[in-house]
Amino acid sequence: MEKNIAYIALFAALIAALGLIPKITLGFGVPITAQSLGIMLCGTILGAKRGALAVLLLLLLVAIGLPLLAGGRGGLGLFFGVTGGFLIGWPISAYVTGLIVEKWRSGSITLVSVVASIVGGIFVMYLFGIVGMAIVLEKTFLESAALMTAFIPGDIIKAIIAGLLTAAIAKARPASLLSRQAKATS
Amino acid sequence: MISLTSPIETRAHRWPAGLKLGLLCLVTFGLFFVDSVLFHGVFLVFVVALYALPGMRFFKNGWKHLKILWPFVFIVVAWHLFTDELPLGLTVAFRMISAVGLANLVTMTTRLSDMIDVVHWLTRPLQRLGFNPRVLELAIALVIRMTPVLVSKGQSLTLAWRARSNRRSGWRIILPFTVLALDDADHVAEALKARGGLTNQERK
Amino acid sequence: MINMNSPAESSTTTGCAIRLDQVCLEIEGKQIINQLSLQTNVRRLGVIGRNGSGKSTLSRLLSGLIDTTSGQLDIAGFDPFKDRRAALREVGLLFQNPEHQIIFPTVLEEVIFGLRQLGQDKTTAKHNALEVLSTFGKEHWQDAHCSALSQGQKHLVCLMSIVAMKPNLIILDEPFAGLDIPTKRQLQRYLDTFSGSLIHISHDPDDLQNYDQLLWLEAGQVEALGQSDEVMPRYLAAMHKLGESDDISDLSN
Repeated sequence: MEKNIAYIALFAALIAALGLIPKITLGFGVPITAQSLGIMLCGTILGAKRGALAVLLLLLLVAIGLPLLAGGRGGLGLFFGVTGGFLIGWPISAYVTGLIVEKWRSGSITLVSVVASIVGGIFVMYLFGIVGMAIVLEKTFLESAALMTAFIPGDIIKAIIAGLLTAAIAKARPASLLSRQAKATS
Repeated sequence: MISLTSPIETRAHRWPAGLKLGLLCLVTFGLFFVDSVLFHGVFLVFVVALYALPGMRFFKNGWKHLKILWPFVFIVVAWHLFTDELPLGLTVAFRMISAVGLANLVTMTTRLSDMIDVVHWLTRPLQRLGFNPRVLELAIALVIRMTPVLVSKGQSLTLAWRARSNRRSGWRIILPFTVLALDDADHVAEALKARGGLTNQERK
Repeated sequence: MINMNSPAESSTTTGCAIRLDQVCLEIEGKQIINQLSLQTNVRRLGVIGRNGSGKSTLSRLLSGLIDTTSGQLDIAGFDPFKDRRAALREVGLLFQNPEHQIIFPTVLEEVIFGLRQLGQDKTTAKHNALEVLSTFGKEHWQDAHCSALSQGQKHLVCLMSIVAMKPNLIILDEPFAGLDIPTKRQLQRYLDTFSGSLIHISHDPDDLQNYDQLLWLEAGQVEALGQSDEVMPRYLAAMHKLGESDDISDLSN
């Protein structure tokens, strides 16, 4: 129980911290903020339920006014604007990512994590994000989707990185990979 | 960690948080039912006026938060100019800025502790399903406590990278960063257990 | 056993020239370094002082990771903050906690990293990395996982990573913190083989016994700079005296 709370809280803090350290590069000079990568890792490392709870905890703190999103942003404004859909999609995407890693036990953890990150971190997240955008911008789903296509290649690279990182964590701290513990406790 | 509540006192600071939040939701919802450009234009002026009332510093601070919207405003207006639907575009833009503006106003005029009280109130029905508010309080405290700690560790890692490289830190840094966070989680769990654990937390 | 260079150089050979002129550093309103001026070029410089005296900050300034608020600083004639390329070639910094320094999963990758950042291609970097490992007698470590190493071993990996970049100056920020006596002594032996200059920061006098010169830092200023046998007794006397006070009670703001 204590372990669950500690892991959930610390991962929420980690996602916040990932938004506050200087931007990192993706290899060929493209700077990204690591936060959305953190959401993928929430799922791949903590699993479905705990991963989603970590993200929900983070969102709760952002909603009540703490500057925990990339660049020190926060507050209710973020939920009512164009990015609102994405924020709502975050915990769900972490859940789906985690579910895939938990259930799909065969094959390399790298592959499983990459696929899980693409399905959860990209498909699901964009689904919610685009719906949100469509509502706020009064455009159709397809038109809003068109606006986001530029980001997809970068996000696929993030998913690959998430896979590599998860595999490395599985080696460095196998006991901490909660998504793959044998029948987890509550 | 400093919250986003504005240190400049306004009358709204004293209004009940639940009331502000409820009003915000109602008003924002209502905004989506009106289609008139004129209405949204006037409403936006009203929102801007609300920001200006408490003074220049408050206004400037609030403006900082609204600045991030401008690329979307630009896209929307440009798009609708192109499709010859400028009034619609302006409606969307004005409404977007108003909604975000009002929500941000609530954040700027509500203290963290008041917000947490609202959270408590909202989660009360969940207590019958076994939800323990003490655990949520603890979780919130842990995140607030540990985020600066992790940030400083992240900064140390970035420095260590820069001590050996001229380039910006790569994604590689996230590995030791995550390991540090997981180790901290283990230590915190241990410390919690040593101080009585959570399973016998008394509920009020 | 380990011979990194040709016949032992005498300890009077001059090392890296370090010059600070009225350097000030202010962080978030606090004056961390206050009008610090010094000039030295010894091969082995120890930096002592209480915790919070500015020693770590000085190490960041000397390696060019942070900029001064005012004043001038040069290492071997260049400004390490402005000229990062020279800084990377000439100065290495060993951080206090290897957990905050080791980035890669295996030892070989960790050592190769700095070499690649210096512009070496994959083959050259790997060759040079393996060479460093064998100089330290640690070829068998190449595929070892860093997280499986002991504290002292991690410190050694950090040291090897820096030595591989062949700097003329290595700054050590409290490198022995938390290590047991045998580990400290073993690491010290590895440090002694380094032919360049060392600046060793510590609050513990035992770590600095064989150092030519000592810099005693107090509240961001030079309290003393001179021969070890001159400065150390004064430092020890002052520390013991402070031990009788209760300044642990003072809050910084």
